[in-house]
Amino acid sequence: MIRLFSTLLLAAVMASTATAQRPAKQIDLSQFPADTVDNVVVPVPSEVFAVLDKLGNPNWREQLGPASSYPATANRAKDALLLGTVIADGFIAVEAEDSERVKEIGRNVLTLAEAINVRKSVVARSNSIVEKADAREWNAVRREFDGALQDVNQAMVELNDEQLAQLVSLGGWLRGTQALTSIVQEKYSRERAELLHQPLLIDYFDRQLAAMSPRLRRNPLVDEVAKALGQIGPLVKKSPDSDIPAETVTEINRITGRIVEMIRAKAG
Amino acid sequence: MMKTFPRPQRRSQLLVALAAALVTLPVALAYVDDALSFAYEAANPYAQQGYVIREDAWGGDLGAGEKKAVTAQLFRGNSYIFFLATDVDGASLRVNIYDSAGTLAESKSWQRGRFAYAEIKPKATGTYYAIVEVLSSPEERTGWALVYGFRK
Repeated sequence: MIRLFSTLLLAAVMASTATAQRPAKQIDLSQFPADTVDNVVVPVPSEVFAVLDKLGNPNWREQLGPASSYPATANRAKDALLLGTVIADGFIAVEAEDSERVKEIGRNVLTLAEAINVRKSVVARSNSIVEKADAREWNAVRREFDGALQDVNQAMVELNDEQLAQLVSLGGWLRGTQALTSIVQEKYSRERAELLHQPLLIDYFDRQLAAMSPRLRRNPLVDEVAKALGQIGPLVKKSPDSDIPAETVTEINRITGRIVEMIRAKAG
Repeated sequence: MMKTFPRPQRRSQLLVALAAALVTLPVALAYVDDALSFAYEAANPYAQQGYVIREDAWGGDLGAGEKKAVTAQLFRGNSYIFFLATDVDGASLRVNIYDSAGTLAESKSWQRGRFAYAEIKPKATGTYYAIVEVLSSPEERTGWALVYGFRK
């Protein structure tokens, strides 16, 4: 009897512990206002491309456009944005399985990285991109481009150039979103358009731009980027279960296309 | 206690990832560094199952009973795994994933010793919250580190 009672007691204690350890099915997210702002996980481009892989076989070569090199300018904010767009091109070239373009982009990444003083940190990545593109190891090339973005970011943080690092990420996001909207437009579906539902990222980039130094905020290109984000934000900040209609996709494509063109415009 | 070690050929990759992550951690504390190495140790076997483990990480310290939210943009179509770890012996922590309405959204989670894990296959693309919590600890403050991976 005592043994039975002990067993029941132990079972009851274990059950109550299990209940205590079980996560709540519903929480009040307003408990975490400051924390959620500080701790944002920005996805790497591979995460988006992994989903795109499943959505048919888009014409990536068309998205890539003609080959072009983008020399560095004296404007570091522009070079940072440009570097972001070139890294995004790298992902598109991987999707197109165009090893020559991937290698060329890898070299372009190096040139632009030099302009913003982070060449040393991406040399190994650039070499690896060329080597893996030759071997047509596309998943590995993708990882190297993800890594290049992170290395640049890290090196800039070390150089107290965190704001320029944010511009690299923004440039990549803008070019990636331009390509993504083109792909979605090509063959619109609710599933494809849902990839654009990124309100968190737009808020995050908005906050970063607002916190930039007055000197950077006065840069006309940075100002244009802020305006573009201001236009895209309301278009994607829908409730999670609402669709992003085809016309919204077209509008986002127009906005991102225009700003990427400005970033890539040759000086003078 | 769960203990996993990387295979020798993966070790260099792990160390590179770890070195990269240590620099990007928002809170540069030695005990968070140790927590991070445990988090990568737990994540590494999943890399061999096709998951891409991100090279950056998040960390900090919490008292027993305290929680912290890490916000993430997740995409429908991918599977995500989150690993939380601490270097404090005897501490117990957990990580759970909630959607933007505050509803528990993970498909699986567990806690074993200094490790906790959650996985999710998002039903919709959007904002999610990884809620990190120290359930109990012999220390006043418990360092934690969170890494995540994804696969299509």
